[in-house]
Amino acid sequence: MSQTKNTSNLLWGAVALGALGVLGTYAAAGPERFWANWILWFVLLFTLGLGSLFIVALEHLVSAKWSVPVRRIPERLATLLIPAVPIGLIALAAVPVLYPGARPEAAHHPLLAGKAFWLSLPFFSVRTVISLALCLLGLWVLVGGSLKQDTTKDPAFNFRARKFAPAFMAIFALVITLIAFDWLSGLTPEWYSDIFGVYVFAGAFLSGLAATALCVLHLQDEGRLEGVKGDHLYNLGGFLFAFTVFWSYIGFAQYMLMWYANLPDEVIWYKVRLAGSWRLITILLAGLHFVLPFFALVTRDSKKDPKRLRRVAYLMLGAHVLDIYWLIFPVLGAGPHFSWPELSFALFFLGGILLWIRGAMQKGEDMPVGDPFLREGLEFRL
Amino acid sequence: MPETSYAVLGVFETPDALMKAIPKVRASKLGTVEAYTPYAIHGIEEALGLRKSPLGGMVLVMGVLGAITALGFQYWISAIDYPIITGGKGAGSWEAFIPIMFEVTVLFATFTAGLGMLFLLNKLPFFGHPVLSSKSIKGITRDRYVLALEAESEAFDSAAAARALQAAGAIEVEALPAPDRSPFLTSDNILRALGGIFAACVVAGLAMYFATKWFPLLAPMKYMQDQPRLNAQKASTFFKDGHGMQQPVAGTVARGHLPTATGTQEEAASLVNPLPRTREVFATGRKVYTNRCEVCHGAVGNGVGSLTAAYGAKPANLQAQQFRDYPDGKIYWAIVNGKNSMPSHAPYLSEPERWAVVHYVRALQRAQNAKDEDLKVATR
Amino acid sequence: MKLDAATSAGDIPEGLVEPSLYVGKVTPGSLDDQVLAFPETRPPRQWYIALAITLTAALVGVVSIGYTFYIGIGAWGNTSPVFWAFDIINFVFWVGIGHAGTLISAILFLFRKRWRNAIARFAEAMTIFAVICAVIFPLIHVGRPWLAYWLFPYPNQRALWTNFRSPLLWDVFAVNTYFSVSLMFWYLGLIPDIASMRDRTTSKLRKLIYTVLAMGWRGAATHWQHYEKAYLLLAGLATGLVLSVHSVVSFDFATSVVPGWHMTIFPPYFVAGAIFAGFAMVVMVLVVVRETMQLKNLITMRHLDVMNKVILAMSCIMGYSYMMEGFTAWYSMNEFLHHGFMNIITGTYGWAGWVTISCNILIPQILWFRKARTSYFWMILVAVGVTIGMWFERFVIIVISLHQDFLPSAWRIYKPTMVDFGVLLGTFGIFFTLVLLFARVLPVIATTEVKAILPDAQPSHHGDDHHA
Repeated sequence: MSQTKNTSNLLWGAVALGALGVLGTYAAAGPERFWANWILWFVLLFTLGLGSLFIVALEHLVSAKWSVPVRRIPERLATLLIPAVPIGLIALAAVPVLYPGARPEAAHHPLLAGKAFWLSLPFFSVRTVISLALCLLGLWVLVGGSLKQDTTKDPAFNFRARKFAPAFMAIFALVITLIAFDWLSGLTPEWYSDIFGVYVFAGAFLSGLAATALCVLHLQDEGRLEGVKGDHLYNLGGFLFAFTVFWSYIGFAQYMLMWYANLPDEVIWYKVRLAGSWRLITILLAGLHFVLPFFALVTRDSKKDPKRLRRVAYLMLGAHVLDIYWLIFPVLGAGPHFSWPELSFALFFLGGILLWIRGAMQKGEDMPVGDPFLREGLEFRL
Repeated sequence: MPETSYAVLGVFETPDALMKAIPKVRASKLGTVEAYTPYAIHGIEEALGLRKSPLGGMVLVMGVLGAITALGFQYWISAIDYPIITGGKGAGSWEAFIPIMFEVTVLFATFTAGLGMLFLLNKLPFFGHPVLSSKSIKGITRDRYVLALEAESEAFDSAAAARALQAAGAIEVEALPAPDRSPFLTSDNILRALGGIFAACVVAGLAMYFATKWFPLLAPMKYMQDQPRLNAQKASTFFKDGHGMQQPVAGTVARGHLPTATGTQEEAASLVNPLPRTREVFATGRKVYTNRCEVCHGAVGNGVGSLTAAYGAKPANLQAQQFRDYPDGKIYWAIVNGKNSMPSHAPYLSEPERWAVVHYVRALQRAQNAKDEDLKVATR
Repeated sequence: MKLDAATSAGDIPEGLVEPSLYVGKVTPGSLDDQVLAFPETRPPRQWYIALAITLTAALVGVVSIGYTFYIGIGAWGNTSPVFWAFDIINFVFWVGIGHAGTLISAILFLFRKRWRNAIARFAEAMTIFAVICAVIFPLIHVGRPWLAYWLFPYPNQRALWTNFRSPLLWDVFAVNTYFSVSLMFWYLGLIPDIASMRDRTTSKLRKLIYTVLAMGWRGAATHWQHYEKAYLLLAGLATGLVLSVHSVVSFDFATSVVPGWHMTIFPPYFVAGAIFAGFAMVVMVLVVVRETMQLKNLITMRHLDVMNKVILAMSCIMGYSYMMEGFTAWYSMNEFLHHGFMNIITGTYGWAGWVTISCNILIPQILWFRKARTSYFWMILVAVGVTIGMWFERFVIIVISLHQDFLPSAWRIYKPTMVDFGVLLGTFGIFFTLVLLFARVLPVIATTEVKAILPDAQPSHHGDDHHA
């Protein structure tokens, strides 16, 4: 008990220390650096939460049984969408600072004039607010309903979730595409790639899976997920493996097609990321986001091995942060910025996210005990 | 039951019965226990104590090998053996090699998985296995579950094995005789194979002979032959002179070239200097003039150069009224074709250099006959 | 403690229980008697009539291809700037049809979706036949088909190599790999079934053929162990392959700079479209097979229901892709992209664009209703619509993008000739001829795989088979 309290104090300390650094960043390193960091963590929080919610919705959509015993984990992780709302609303203040499309000059830019309305702050804000609201709706139906089912044991929730899941998929596609185009590719509004939404989706789903696997392993250590076996871990590992490959496939397809066609309005985006020290970051990203996890999980046994799965899950979360960093930070110009402002933001947000997850992990039962398919899920064997 | 049994089979009706029997039969330690089933039964590997299939490792190794082979092959061809730049991509552009690398990896890996399983691990095809000629095989591939006690040594006691299987719940038992171990490569079989190959060759040869003899040769894709085009060694019906290739129209300038002087000097009078009067052009003209012209025509173009006296030649005085009245084209013509004892400078000078000299000569002429307004331009 | 709570959870309410994967009582023996009997009985008269029709269609194709060889590619409607037309449209169309088989046999296998077992064999066979139809087109389009082996990189006296930076060469590798892997997958799956046929046939000739084909398969546990491992590995590899093949096909277009072709979303969107068209074809064939071969007890409405759900999902993914294409055409502020997209909805071939959109996006939406998903009328309507729509989608991508590119002086209208249609009809003839032959010669349902999911097929301590 005292240990958890110590951890909690430590995390609060990190948040406090980080907060100092965050404020210092605005004062000392300038608003651009501040907002770039802020958006990084907003996108991370958002993709993590939405990716987890997607896992939940996917289970209802295909009526999967094996994942019922671990469904509560992504459900709890999806609640990260709640703190994402204020952070996202604050992030709107970054739009005139970092997003060239929202500045008044855009109206005279040959490539931006036509879509200046789309990129302008008011419409940008409307889209973000709608996206966040739709996410909260999904959270309310899928997670709220599931938590309620713990006590009511009413199978009506399963009917409702199955009806809602296809609709949520449409919402999900819309929201993730908007977030990708607005918050990430909007930093270089001349650049366009119609696969970009799918790319961000792959990263979001992957981060949700990695966080789920990690929390499952931690709860198992605490002896809280009795009945979850290697077979369940195998499936989580398998998904993690498959979507590592999927992410790479999408990322490579986008890069290869742009590299091959060599059109100036497209390659400029990669040119920046392949110049100077950014080249190293790009190679690092390919290594950490694809090569390493691919070979770590390629064999059948490694997907069941809790030790390896845990390492890979940590790696994937780190790689996801690096991915977002790689998407955002090149717009600041010059080489990769990594110094005390980034560290303080990491302290502040990581501490906060961990505190939130620790709290969320106490919500409801550890398994959806009201779900009629729980028994079948527990009996699942490969 | 004969003592030379290869194995004794016990037939079971359900997978449950089979699974329950396995530990009992294994405990009898009478021989190697093997199961024959219509489909894969979950958990039977552990019950039989089988080792893990090494196929995964084999496939991984071969897959990696396939990737390396494909990447190396493509790189060697595209960057070393036949380096050619296509589409502006560098010789060793790895991005373009990834798709084929992936395909070859999958190809190597699947062939390892499929053929490795069949040939290496399961040692198929094998048509002479005793179980295939047993009575139970019909059940094995249909709906019966068979447990076999296979002889490990000469001391195999088939009667005891049968008893053990019955005790474990087998509804039927069957003893299999030892397999026929006669070698496949007998002289008879070799002769048959050779005869077969010979017969096939004869048939194929005859078929080829008559096919080419009886069927007229078709000319596919005839339209490529029948195009309205001039074939080699044929006269053109389109042009009067019968040539396929015609001389270019007079005054034609090849792409990337400047007009040049052909014909007489009078004809060249109409040529216009295409170069602009820029510092660079004058600098080129000056350099070329100093290197090639000055020794005869003199530094100011007055026809008094350092070689004039030595050779007794009389180079043109470019400052003379006659040459000051020349159009640019005639000076150019003289540079290209030479005049009197002056040789052609075309071999040494590129087209822009020749025209640059023309500009420079004009500058020399003007410098020697400067007017007031020229001075105004110079001092401005 | 949580486990107790779970086991005390109530029974699964009606409406959430999945219907059984077969109807009536099915035992391993009855399954063999039903499925493996087809090759041993005489086909009904309708089968011969159907074969006559498909053979006639195939003959039309053979004659059209022969005429093409005699005259040359000029027999087709291809012109400048539409150098690629029916040949590549049909190639992409047929390769795409094949993807459903690989999806069912590989991806759904990995997801342990048991409904795949009964239909996997048929879908895999259709994959192979579709790829056979597909490879015809590049071969006859190379102009000098007797030199088609120049496509392969081999050391030769010309000291020339193929160009590894060309997406068309990637196609050669992708399609060949795809065909080899599909064939291997199909054959491995067939081996235990052929062994069953070997052991039940009474005809000597059949026995000989099946004996050779089954390679002496005897169902040993040691063999099954490696077999299952190989099947799992093949499934994993084929999953990657199914993504890559149509991605590579999409690279033929997307690596270029032609407006309407150079789209980064092409790779996943082509894969989704391929699965979409393939599933439609499988549904069409399955409905006929189910009715004419009396397989209603094994291929149930649940199978068709799930297949139709996949079609619906793919339709939505296609809708997303179309939407993104349109959005990018505007968002890029690129007048060429914009013009290309407007051509699809308002240009000379605008009708083709609307056929595509309505057949692929609008009509399949009827499948949201369970009634439509389990009604022959609606599912056939959707399947035929999707087949037409997906063919026209390739027409839209290829012809509309090519006929008006960057140089307005080169713009020209493309018109296919009767020979083009003849070859297309011919491939349908070849495809369905092969399907008909397959249905009578080999086991149409993977009996071994279905046996493994029957009740009590697995030892009871493995109690996960109650809701098969």
